[in-house]
Amino acid sequence: MKQNLTLVQRLNAHPDSRCWFVSWSPTGTLLASCGGDKAIRIWGREGDSWICKSVLQDGHQRTVRRVAWSPCGNYLASASFDATTCIWKKKNDEFESLTVLEGHENEVKSVAWAPSGNLLATCSRDKSVWVWEVDEEDEYECVTVVNSHTQDVKNIVWHPTQELLASASYDNNVCIYKEEDDDWECRATLQGHTSTVWSLAFDATGQRLASCSDDRTVKIWKESPLESGDLSWKCVCTLSGYHGRTVYDVAWCRLTGALATACGDDAVRVFKEDETADPKQPVFSLAAQATKAHSQDVNCVAWNPKEAGLLASCSDDGEIAIWRFQEED
Amino acid sequence: MASQFSGVLQLTDLDDFITPSQECVKPVKVEKKHGKSVARIQIEDDGSYVQVNQDGGKQKLEKAKITLNDCLACSGCITSAESVLISQQSHEELLKVLRNNESSDTEQKVVVVSVSPQSRASLAARFELSSSEAGRRLTSFFKGLGVRHVFDTSFSRTFSLLESQREFVERFQRKEQDGKSLPMLTSACPGWICYAEKTHGEFILPYISTTRSPQQMMGSLVKCYFAEQQGLSPEQIYHVAVMPCFDKKLEASRSDFYLNEAETREVDCVITSGEVQKMLEEKNMSLNDVEPAPLDTMFSSVSGDEFLSHSGSGSGGYLHHAFTYAAKQLFGEEVKELTYKTLRNKDFQEVTLEKDGVVLLSFASTYGFRNIQNLVQKLKRGKSPYHFVEVMACPSGCLNGGGQVKPLPGQNPKELLQKVEELYTAERPLSLEDDTRVAELYQSWLHSVGGERAKELLHTRYHTVEKMTNGLTMKW
Repeated sequence: MKQNLTLVQRLNAHPDSRCWFVSWSPTGTLLASCGGDKAIRIWGREGDSWICKSVLQDGHQRTVRRVAWSPCGNYLASASFDATTCIWKKKNDEFESLTVLEGHENEVKSVAWAPSGNLLATCSRDKSVWVWEVDEEDEYECVTVVNSHTQDVKNIVWHPTQELLASASYDNNVCIYKEEDDDWECRATLQGHTSTVWSLAFDATGQRLASCSDDRTVKIWKESPLESGDLSWKCVCTLSGYHGRTVYDVAWCRLTGALATACGDDAVRVFKEDETADPKQPVFSLAAQATKAHSQDVNCVAWNPKEAGLLASCSDDGEIAIWRFQEED
Repeated sequence: MASQFSGVLQLTDLDDFITPSQECVKPVKVEKKHGKSVARIQIEDDGSYVQVNQDGGKQKLEKAKITLNDCLACSGCITSAESVLISQQSHEELLKVLRNNESSDTEQKVVVVSVSPQSRASLAARFELSSSEAGRRLTSFFKGLGVRHVFDTSFSRTFSLLESQREFVERFQRKEQDGKSLPMLTSACPGWICYAEKTHGEFILPYISTTRSPQQMMGSLVKCYFAEQQGLSPEQIYHVAVMPCFDKKLEASRSDFYLNEAETREVDCVITSGEVQKMLEEKNMSLNDVEPAPLDTMFSSVSGDEFLSHSGSGSGGYLHHAFTYAAKQLFGEEVKELTYKTLRNKDFQEVTLEKDGVVLLSFASTYGFRNIQNLVQKLKRGKSPYHFVEVMACPSGCLNGGGQVKPLPGQNPKELLQKVEELYTAERPLSLEDDTRVAELYQSWLHSVGGERAKELLHTRYHTVEKMTNGLTMKW
């Protein structure tokens, strides 16, 4: 079975700057990007091509590091190096700044919405992870500040169905948080990477978590609850030898189970799981790669949530690339 | 080393993995000595730096030192302060002073220890004693080490509560003219104060009560009044406070609490409940083996040999006292019992006074960083409905302070906290007005209630810490 990764389109998204992150709206019809130019751009499909629908400016004083769509698709959150998180509300085709979440001491590195849409998580170079609650009047209140990492927290992701949060840090660890007696606590620390953990991705069921690191590996962790009821995650697979440099991002397609990575060696890679392997010892193999996907570091990969095989990547070269991953018989 | 400061302070820190010797960005003032401009610097075998002049003469170079005050005035790291603190305020320092007294013919320093009621409760829980019994045994333990007096900060807390409730009423009455008079935010928690000064400076400081914390009230009492009574100068007294909280060490080190003339701090050293436990351990002692001693009644809130407490929270009862006092003074309402409404979580509670459907007073307590955050953000957006807020950096407040005795292996921290709370509240509350000793001190020491002397000796000031913008702090 032959698989390949073909370029659909290349967008000069954040000219003369870096494009840090891209995020598909829940319906897969819009793509949001953000970059070192402090701007957020919204891309939509017209005919066969993707065009810029709107530019969200003046929300931030510094680099916008990450954007996240709410599960309903009506809100967009942006995390910035200016220590704030902006919430934007979609009105028809326009976005208006609704509120600014302050509190982090310095650079906010990531933002993510819980599946319910009622909780928002942020993390920062100040080493903390915050969870915010949204009420009906679009007011945000901080429900917790957790200091479980000893260094810069690079990224946070929510479990696809439960109120379970995972964070990745410069301290080489991954932490898993859960609410306990009206406060959030780190319930499990995943140790194994030998350098910064840059990103995380749950699979469709949430039973497995992929992490990628500056140690040039991707690790797959599987939930294995202890008898005491405590959370525990075990590393069941390590993908090493594929990446020439830091792996900055990992995306697990909820539709096909394909795992994509963004790497500092300018490449985008897609891995497929061997379905015949023992589930306790999964095997992933490289299915396709674009070695010169970008002219500089690839920062992010994102699978379209509705259209199987549609993948977006973005890079320090300021560009977005849209790819199609296909399996041919 | 894991930081022992409250979470609030850990968050304000930028580089808490560094120690001053490694990467401190604080410019150090070095006394310039005249000399030739050309010289070589040589590192000796013992690691000391020596300047070798052109004529071959050698001169030992002094090390640049960062004091705790440098750290506090700096918007850089916190843990630098921590390593400095450990060398300046520890139970080892106390033992050193006591040894010094013993080894010389005349007592060098009169050592006075002031124990907080929260620390008493924490140690009582560890040794399965009542809080008062723990207090009697602690008195005996410290005196056995050569401490002259053992006082109780519930006594000085009466001053804090009286001053704070009066300050609130005064602020309430000028709320129309002064947009920043309300809400009044309490000031007893040094973690909160440090965070406010470093992070929200000018905006938040006017709201913070100027009333001193019980620790610093006691500092004033011991180094000013007590010293004078005893015919001692302030520096002849070594004043130690036993506190539930590590951040109290920072408070004691504030320049506002330094007596310039006498060149001494009002509180020389703060040790935590946990450090007292460590002292006992190092001497292979248990509080259970110590014979109880009669209490020092000079500055202690006692009735017979039992300690007295204050109504309200385990963090001092500021909300309780200000609320009942204000209800009476401002609206003529006698409030017998306060109804606490738990809001978002157990550390965010609200108490209101209503009359004919109109809210007259709206008070809240916000403990822990998350609730402090929401309070500050609401204030910034002009959406805070409160007149008064009891603010504490630690979740569950002072009884759960970072300096309390740690749970034994296998002991559930929540159960331990509950036990400490029970022991603390078991002490009979004293109503402020009934403390005749305090009333008497207002006359003999302060000459009047609410006068200039009281303002000077029982209140303090806060200072915005400017964010450093020089190139040294830049991170790439």
